[in-house]
Parts: sequence; C-alpha cells; structure tokens
Amino acid sequence: MASAQHVLLSPAELAYLHSSLSLTPPIRPDGRTPTQFRPLVAETGILPGTNGSARICFADGTEAIVGVKAEVEKTRSRHDDETVFVEGAGDDGEEEETDDITRTGESDWIELTVEIPGLRDDDSATAFLAAMLSEALLADGGLVKRLWINRRFHWKLYLDIILISPPLSYPLPLLSLTTHLALLSTRLPRLKSEGDEDPFFDDDWAAAPYLYPRQQTATPTAKSAPRSPATRPPITLLVMAVANNILFDPSKEELAVADAALAVSVTSSTRSDENDDGDGDDSMDVKEKKGRNLRLLSIRTVDPPSRLTPPGVANSSNAAYGVAGNGNGKATEGRTAVAEGEAVVEGVWRAPRGGAKRAVMAALVQKALERGGVVDEVFDALEGVELG
Amino acid sequence: MSSLKRSLDSDPFAANISSKIYVRSTKSGKVQKIVREVYLRQDIPCSSRLCRICLKTAPKDAAGRPVPFVLSDAPAGTSTFPQGHYLVPDTNAFLSAMDLFEQSSAFYDVVVLQIVLEELRNRSLPLYNRLISLTKSEDKRFYVFFNEFRLETHVARRDGESVNDRNDRAVRRAVAWYGEHLARSGANKVPAVVMLTNDRDNLRKAKQEGIHACSLADYVRQLKDSERLLDMIPEMEDREDVKEKRPGENLYPEYFTMSRMMTGVKNGLLHQGIFNVSPYNYLEGSIRVPAFPKALLILGRENINRAIDGDLVVVEVLPKDQWKEPSTQVIEEDAITKNENPDAEETEDFVSEKERKALQEEVKRTHSKTTEGHAQPTAKVVGVVKRNWRQYVGHIDQSSVSQSAQQGRKQDTVFVIPMDKKIPKIRLRTRQVAELVGKRILVTIDAWERSSRHPVGHFVRSLGELETKAAETEALLLEYDVQYRPFPKTVLDCLPKEGHDWRVPQSKDDPGWRDREDLRDLLICSIDPIGCQDIDDALHSRPLPNGNFEVGVHIADVSHFVRPNNAMDAEASIRGTTVYLVDKRIDMLPMLLGTDLCSLKPYVERYAFSVIWELSPDADIVNVRFTKSVIKSREAFSYEQAQLRIDDDSQQDDLTKSIRTLLVLSKKLKQKRLDAGALSLSSPEVKVQMESETSDPIDVKTKELLDTMSLVEEFMLLANSSVARKIYEAFPQTAILRRHGAPPKTNFDELANQLKVKRGLDLSVESSRALADSLDKCVDPKEPFFNTLVRIMATRCMMAAEYFCSGTQAYPEFRHYGLASEIYTHFTSPIRRYADLVAHRQLAAAIEYEAVDPSVRSRGRLEAVCKNINVRHRNAQLAGRASIAYYVGQAIRGKATEADGFVMKIFSNGFVVLVPRFGIESLIRLRDLAEPEPQATYDAETYTLTTSGSREVTVELFQKVRVRVSDQKDETTGKRGVKMELVTVY
Repeated sequence: MASAQHVLLSPAELAYLHSSLSLTPPIRPDGRTPTQFRPLVAETGILPGTNGSARICFADGTEAIVGVKAEVEKTRSRHDDETVFVEGAGDDGEEEETDDITRTGESDWIELTVEIPGLRDDDSATAFLAAMLSEALLADGGLVKRLWINRRFHWKLYLDIILISPPLSYPLPLLSLTTHLALLSTRLPRLKSEGDEDPFFDDDWAAAPYLYPRQQTATPTAKSAPRSPATRPPITLLVMAVANNILFDPSKEELAVADAALAVSVTSSTRSDENDDGDGDDSMDVKEKKGRNLRLLSIRTVDPPSRLTPPGVANSSNAAYGVAGNGNGKATEGRTAVAEGEAVVEGVWRAPRGGAKRAVMAALVQKALERGGVVDEVFDALEGVELG
Repeated sequence: MSSLKRSLDSDPFAANISSKIYVRSTKSGKVQKIVREVYLRQDIPCSSRLCRICLKTAPKDAAGRPVPFVLSDAPAGTSTFPQGHYLVPDTNAFLSAMDLFEQSSAFYDVVVLQIVLEELRNRSLPLYNRLISLTKSEDKRFYVFFNEFRLETHVARRDGESVNDRNDRAVRRAVAWYGEHLARSGANKVPAVVMLTNDRDNLRKAKQEGIHACSLADYVRQLKDSERLLDMIPEMEDREDVKEKRPGENLYPEYFTMSRMMTGVKNGLLHQGIFNVSPYNYLEGSIRVPAFPKALLILGRENINRAIDGDLVVVEVLPKDQWKEPSTQVIEEDAITKNENPDAEETEDFVSEKERKALQEEVKRTHSKTTEGHAQPTAKVVGVVKRNWRQYVGHIDQSSVSQSAQQGRKQDTVFVIPMDKKIPKIRLRTRQVAELVGKRILVTIDAWERSSRHPVGHFVRSLGELETKAAETEALLLEYDVQYRPFPKTVLDCLPKEGHDWRVPQSKDDPGWRDREDLRDLLICSIDPIGCQDIDDALHSRPLPNGNFEVGVHIADVSHFVRPNNAMDAEASIRGTTVYLVDKRIDMLPMLLGTDLCSLKPYVERYAFSVIWELSPDADIVNVRFTKSVIKSREAFSYEQAQLRIDDDSQQDDLTKSIRTLLVLSKKLKQKRLDAGALSLSSPEVKVQMESETSDPIDVKTKELLDTMSLVEEFMLLANSSVARKIYEAFPQTAILRRHGAPPKTNFDELANQLKVKRGLDLSVESSRALADSLDKCVDPKEPFFNTLVRIMATRCMMAAEYFCSGTQAYPEFRHYGLASEIYTHFTSPIRRYADLVAHRQLAAAIEYEAVDPSVRSRGRLEAVCKNINVRHRNAQLAGRASIAYYVGQAIRGKATEADGFVMKIFSNGFVVLVPRFGIESLIRLRDLAEPEPQATYDAETYTLTTSGSREVTVELFQKVRVRVSDQKDETTGKRGVKMELVTVY
C-alpha cells in the first residue's frame, strides 16, 4: 500500500539521498546510525477513564493516542459442552488442571479501530492499518489468552487508536508502539470469584492487576533466580532497505528512496515452551540465554512512496503502463532496484523496481532479532516508560 | 529513545483537584472503571461554636444567615480529658456500638466524618439510617464533616496502601486537623479531639502521630455509668485472637461466596428465599422458593447453618436419601439445651447428645413408615444474602448464670432466651448479671461465627421487671417493631394552629368549603365499638321518590389535614397503621386529629369524604358518586345501642328507620357476596375486660356478633370496592389496591386429609365458592364449635392479603379471594391506616377535587409504601394478638379454671389444644400428662396419639377435651405462660 504523500524533492535530490544511503556505512540525512531511532516522547495513563492508555509523540511531529477499554462479555457456548458449571467450582484438583488447557481465546475478543485525521474510517488506508495492527496482536494468540476469565466469561478489549497529527509519515510504527504502551499500562479489575461462577470483581482499582504483569524489579530475593523478562505485547516496526543497507525507523525522506519497505511484527515472550509449539519456522526464533525470547510474527511489505511514479514521467517510460514488462516474477527473483533496459543516468532518480532481496530479508530478520539488537533495544526503551 | 512523564506541577490547580478511582460492577454484569474528580475546598466549616475562623467562610442559607454551628463551645469532659472533648469515631465504632451513641447520658459532640458515613452506608444500611437520624437530632450535636472535600484533610492513597489503611489515615488526618484548627481558634479552653477506634494498629499509629485516641472500652471507662455502658460494647474479639483459632474447631460449614451463590441461583441449582423457623421445633426451618410449589424443609443445626428466622438465605437441595418428613415432634430449645454452660461451650460436641436423641426418634419413625412418598425435599443453607437481624427482647436464662456472677461485678457470660421462640438463644457478656436477672431486656445479635454454637450479642437496655405491665407492653411493641415513641415536634408542627378549637368555617366562601357538598342536613350516624374515639365512618340512608334508596358512607377527611410530603405524612407512612393493644392504642396520627378534628364525632360539623350510592330495593347499585362534604353526625352509637334501637319497635323516628333500612340492605349485600363465593373465615377472638380504674384485666369474654356489626362491615366493603374501581379507572398504573391471592391448593392438603380421615368430610378448594360451600358442610351436629374450628384452621392455610400498586399486577391478580371481589382497596379508615389515606388522595384527584400529588402518582414510591404498610399491618395484628394473649394470661392468673377445648394439632409427644372460651391455644406435652412421662404411640395416618403406662388416654385430632387452664411460671426461665392440663377426653 502506498503511504502518505509525496515528498517535495527533486529527482536529483532523491538520487543523492539514495546513493548516500547505499554507502557502507550509510549516511543518513539526520546523521543517525542505521539502527538508531529518532527520539520520541511517550507517556501512559493519560486517559483516566480507560483501562489503559498511552500517548507517543515522534520527533517528526506525528502523535498518537491509544485508549484501551475492557468489558466483561459472555463467551458464546459451543454446542458440544453442555456442562453445568457450578458443581465443581470448589477445590478438586482436576479442575485446576483442565483450567490451563481450556484457556483459549478467540480473535473477536479484541476490537480495534484506527482513526486518521482527514481520512474516512472506511478508507482503505485506515482499514489496512487496522488490519495490520490487529494481525500482529492476534498472531500468536497470547493476548486473547489473557482475556480469558473462566469458561463462561471473557474480557472484550476495545482499542481505540487515534492519530492526532496529520499523517506526515507512514504512521504504522507510531500506532503500534503506542498500542504496545497502552496495552502495557492496561489493568483489569481483580477477579474475586473462582471457577466458572459469574465473575465478581474487586472494587479497588489499585488492586487491579496489569494485563501484562510487570517484572519485579529490584527485589533482592528475586535476584537469585534470574527471571526472564515477562511476555510483552507485539510491536510492529518499519524497516527499509536501500541497496544492501538496512535502515530502521526511516524518516519520510528516507522512505521516498527506499528499495523496499517492510513492516516487521515481533513479540517477546518468557516461556521457552512457546518456541516449541511455534509454527515451524524455527529459523526465525532466536533464543536468548538471558533476556528476551524474541519471535518474529510477520513481515509485510509496504509500498513506499519511492515506488510511485514521480510526476512528469512519460507514459512511454512508465513501468505502470507495462513498458518494462519484460520477464515475469521479477519480485521473486530479487533483482536490483534499477530496472534493466533503461539507461541509468547518474544523479537522476528512477523509481526502483522489484522486491527486496532475499539476502537483505535474512539480514533484516537477523538484525531485528539478535540479542541486544534493535528490537530488544526498543522493548527495553518501552519498558522504561513509567506507567501510571 | 527517551520517555517523558508530564508532571502535574505545571498545573496551577493541581492542588485542588484529586480523583477517586474505583471499579463498579453493575447488576447486568458490566464492570466499569469509574473516575470521580474531587475538587478540594477550604470553606467547609469545622462547625465548632468555638471557632471564629470558619464563621467567615461558612455556607449561608438563602437569607444570608450562616448555618448554625453544631458542636458545643463547652463540650463535656471526662476524667482523661477534663478540658472537654469532641469525639471522632471510626466506622467500626459505629458498626459495633451504635447503641452507645444513641445513649442520652453520654456521647455528645461527635464529628461524623464523611468517609466514615460512606463506609457505614456500604456496610449496613439500617445503622446508617440510625446515624443519620442522630445527626439530625439537635440535642445530640452530631456533625457530618466532609473531610474528603476539605483540602487540608483530603488524603490521597499511597502506593500499596490498602483502602482500609488509607481510610484510617484519613480519619487520623481529620482528627489532627481538628486539633490544630481548634488550637488556632483562640478559645481559652480548647477541647481535645478524640478518635474512637477499636483497631489496635490505628491506635498505635495515632499515638505515634501524637493525636488523642481511645478504644471504645477505654473511653467508656472514663464515663460516669461505665458499668452499664460497657455492656453495650459488643463482644468483639481482637483480630489477633480470632486468627489463633484453628479452623478445625469450626462447628458450622462455611458459607459460599456471594458470586458462587448468585451464579447458582441464576442457574437454578441453588434457591433463594426467606428462612422461617417452625414455631414448634427450633431445629426445623422451611423456606419457600419460587422454583417449587411446596416449601423446602431445613432440618438440624448443621443444615440451618447459622440462619436466623427472617434472614434471606440461599439453600441447596439435599439428595433424595436425605429427604424427611416434617417433624411431628415438639422440640423446644430451652428444654433441650437447658443446662448448657455459656462459658465453656466450645468443648462440647457440636450437636449435643440430647439433640441427637431427638433426631434419632425422627429416624426411627421415618423408618417404621411404609409410605416413603411422604418424605419432603430437604435443603441446607449455603449462604446468607441478607441478615434480617433486629433487636430482640428476651430475658436471661437463670440456669446459665453461675453462682459467682450473682454477686460480683466481673464480666460474665450468660444466655438470653428471646421472647420469640424462633430465635435461638443468644450468648451475652455482661457485668450486670445480678441486676438483669428477672428483667425483660433488649439485646442485639452482633455475629455468629462458624466456631460458635450460639450467636453472640450484646445488651442494649433493660425494659423492667418481667411481668410488669410497662415492661411487657414495651417488649411487645419492640418485638413487633411498632413505633411507639411520642410524635416529634416537627410532626406536631403540622397540626392546625387552632388545636381543639378548630371548627368547620362558618362562611361558605372559605377555601375549606371549595367543592365541598353541604350534607349537614342528612341524618347521619356512626356505629362503632364501645368507647371508640377515632370514628372513621358514618352512614345515612333515605328513600328516594323512585322507590330506590340513597345510601351514604362518610369517611373522615384525613387527607384535608395531612398534606402529602410533610413531616406528619412521613411519620404516618412509617407507622403505617394504628396499633390496638388491650389497654393501649398507638396512634398513626397525633391525638388531636385522630380523636378530635378528623373523628366524625356526633353533634359537631366535620369534614368528610362521602361515597353516595343510589341502591335499588334489591341492593343493586344504580349509580355512585364521590364527593368531599361537610356533615354533622346526629348520634354515635355503639353496636349494642344500635342493635337495641333497631329491635325496639317503639322507636319510629327517622334516624332509627334509616338504620333499619341500612340493615335490610346490608343483609341483601351480604347474601350477594356469599353467593359470589365470599368466605366467612374465623379466628378465635376474645375481649379482655378491664377494671376501669386500674385497668387490670378481670375477665375474658368471647366477642359477640351483632347484626349491626355486619351492617357497618357490608357498607364499608361496598365503599371500598366502589372506590377501588374509581381510582383504578383514574390511575390504571398507580392505584393503591388490596388483593388477597388464591391460596395454593397444597396449602390445604394437610387439612383436607385430616378432615377426610377423621370425619369423612371433603374439602374442595377449587375456588373460593367451592371452599365456602364445603366449609359450610363441615359441621358436627353434636358440636357446634366444630365448624368454627375448621374455619380457624382453614384461615391459617390462606395467604395474607396485601396492599399493592395496580401497575405491578395483572388485572386478574387483583382479586380478593376472601371477599370474592374483583377489585378492592382500603378507604374507610384513614385515621388508622395509611393505605386509606393514600386512597383518599387518589380519589380526590380522580374526582378532580385537587391536583394529583406526585407522591400518589410515582409507582416506585407507592411500591415502597405498600411494602412498608404490609409489614406494619401484619405486625400490628400480631402485636394485638400477643397483647390479648398476655392479658388473658394475667386475667386467669391465680384462678385455675376448667374449660372445654379442641385438639388442633397433634405431635408424637404432645398436642395443641384451643380453648375458645379464652381464645388461647397451648401445647400439652406428654410429660405434662402424668409423672413419670407416659409412653405413647402416635399414628400419623389417623392422627391419633395413644398413651400407655402412667396414664392411658387416646387423643385424636378435632377431639373435644376438657382442660384445666391455669397460669404457670416456669422456674428456670422466669416466664409466665398459660398452662393447660388435660382433665378428661370427651
């Protein structure tokens, strides 16, 4: 999908930008290293009426607010289990065991809406953003599992994601990070009833536990047993590739010359067993001895603005009109960004063609998931945001 | 990446804004996080008369005068605080010892913190209401201080602090602030501000913070009559002590959690209902639940599981092999648990040997039975939704008093036997055993722990010696929750200023005459019992030229004097009804109205509300109209006088003639009613004759029935149903009506079976008509009273009639079963019943005499009114009966008489005899028959009890027996009651 609007840069400027980003190491316009993020401002708990909320403001001026509200909902009973629930609500151990097994959630327990100023809510861009965000949240089923109350009831989570600035750059990472923070700060009332009774909650808000329990920090007793960091909600980051360079957190200008732009969803979990029951792509899991277990949930390619034909290109030379329609499946072949058959003029920008290279993709995954890597750093930073 | 948290310091108003966050669960199952913003202010006064600072900012009323301050400028001192003191109790102090605060000897100048008040409301609504009425009373000087809204006393919850700790801290903060604030007031004698709490931790922290604090007991010890007051501090074991108890010692099963009960009830696996104890067997309870047509039985201490009569409980049905028959045995608590030691109870077995034996008998009997089908479903209590505890009247069980306690002043534990047999014994700790033995005392139940065999309570006050008239009457009123305190000043202020000199205005231009008909020239008279002062109703009749009759029923126009929503109206709606005791009347309305201004006294003009019919000679209604009027009653007859006058042929004046007309018409009306299936039911009614000077009872008479009584009754019924129709037509949703539900057939099962077995009579209960007919057939040619006996027993199978608001029921449900009337209300006694007053207001609005008051149009309010007056009505009846029973007992005191009686109910170890002459029924146990107790075999099939051994008699149901009635004082309990001994069996 196409993101945002064109940047007002001349073909020469674009070409210059492209070539400086293709250098090793790349030189970014704002002087960052390839993995460095721009500074951002984040706070949580800004909406007192919600169960959890967060606001993040990026350096480029984009700003988003996310509010999470929870509601108790009756779980649709399946026809096959006509169990009467009260009898065993007591203390038989059998019950306890089955509890864990039956703790499953369904994807419609989360409802997510995205609002982008200036766009209708049924606009394809909005819908696509919402789909990407909820896809990441639902990918490993970890979040909905947390919403399980008992066999008859569950929490339904409403996530309202609002971009409050004009969409200056592609807002996906901003919205994802804000959602992540909001979920981190989300608390659900403490359950007092047991078993499959109608749920009954503690009226003390201060006793409400976090949806994603925080690590116990600085407790001397806990230090002896090294705890792996707790499971965290997934985040989706934007990564772009220029030539063989991989750049995180691209700015608007950088995106305008991207060979490929990818949305990478990653989650972090504590339990090692989650790796085992994974869906087979073990190669993507990088197990850390200490620290997080990062898991790649999905990679999606995003159409960067660089793919759009800049104004003033004659139809005769426009790829969109099938001029360079030589050869099928060029995306899979992973050719260089510059189309063949066209004279490459130094210093003049040409929109790249073809997909990302496989090697680039592999390096990207590697970079994202490695210990102390970018994603780890991002999780650390988000963890550092004071909740309240 | 860097993160930033916006600090609140930048907000200039931050100091004044705080918020309160909590989770609210709604009935529909929604769970919401609620955030309330709290705006802190500094103009909430401390309300001490010493304070000059607050006076400047104190809120002012509409006239610009500041609201007067509450707390005294010279509060009372104690030994520790000679300079005087203000009290600041915490929530638990109110929860556990509200009785103390209501004392008139101490506990003045109390600051009730808002946080305490709110917590109290959540914990106990009745206590909250009592505290509210205390804060309203002017002489107690209780002041509600809104500490949560005052900037200086607002306390924000700290991280990890529990709500309770935070609230305790808020109380301490308020106490500290009061102290500092008063010190700055510049008064020369600054009173101490003392926190009252029983929480040790709180006391310790208060000490650290240097503020005055006392435990309740410590504080009371500083007061003058501390001995007496100390007893009112409930026996609250310290928190630490409770923990020491091992769970293994718990005697009762634990209650389910509330959510588990509610889920169970919703799923239909558990059932919710009001727990009732059998009056004959304290170990047997029953509960009526919507799911089953018959009540569920709850047998035995363990299954009853600490429920007390009247509690709203949740029960679970027991498996079928545990189903039992209702007991045919009389089990009385004081007989079985007589020798229990109140101190050393925990060492005993939970179910005592004797109780076990009583149960064994049961089992034996059930097993010997071939008919398994008789077993009834049983259930056990798994939780209490709402306690319905009140204050109970009782006396100390003499046998539980240890010898040492008789003299010493040390605290001692005794048992209190409540007057109401359905309430279990209450364990009580008191220092005044010696004084309280032999007195009627008022106690409350504080708790019933799992580890305690009996509920634990504390002493409230003494009513006086047992068997003195004052004590017994007050006991009765308390037991039936009758409001007997004198009317407060606010109520009396609502009375007309003229007092007894009030007259119907001479000039017809007076607003009082607006839309009123002048009926002063009608020959109206009233017929009431002898000595009746509150005359509600008067009648007249006159022939019309077309051969029909005009009949008028004139009812005292109480609604003219009692305007809706003033203090008098509120008081009357709480009292609900006038209560008639043998020697006393507790009025619903102040005397001035009830016996003078409203009362339709003879020879004076009075306002009335008239129902005037045109009746055909066959007593069919041709038309009816309703009007406010002015009448002048010509005569106030007693039933007897009226009867004499009718029977005396020499009396031929118009007034007598009109009464005769009324009588003829009333007989026709009655016949019509009976044809429609009205029941004539019966209850044993007697009248106690009192000596006029000392009002000591001297004799008991059964009530005579006169034609004139039914004359009045018929026209009242007619008026009531006419009014009911009219107000229902005008207010289909909110008319106040009275219904009498058709009793479920199963109610009559027992009686029908008994009649069938013993007399071969059939009782058909398909309709009220069928029942009336079959009751008519229940006659024993040799025994005229038999029919009455059956009617009395049938009456007990009926449902209670009730007031309701017409929108809450479907029209077919309006039916009055007993009167066989489609629609009915109460209209004719507004002086003594609140329902009638509401009906008056509605009728006045229906005939467009006045505008509809919102209070008679709001369905929610009317429902609440109905609920209250239904309870009051019932209590008033019970209190009246209990009063008669007491006086009957007093009347026959020392005079043993023989009388005929009838066996009403039969058990395997005794039977109940009703003596119509005295209108009393009493249990004769086997052991009362002879010494030693005779053996007996009980045949439940034929309701026959045959004794053998020391005395041989055969007692059957419905049998006529001769009994000796005497009074007897039970030596162990100090209770006097009627005692019957069997003389012969006829």
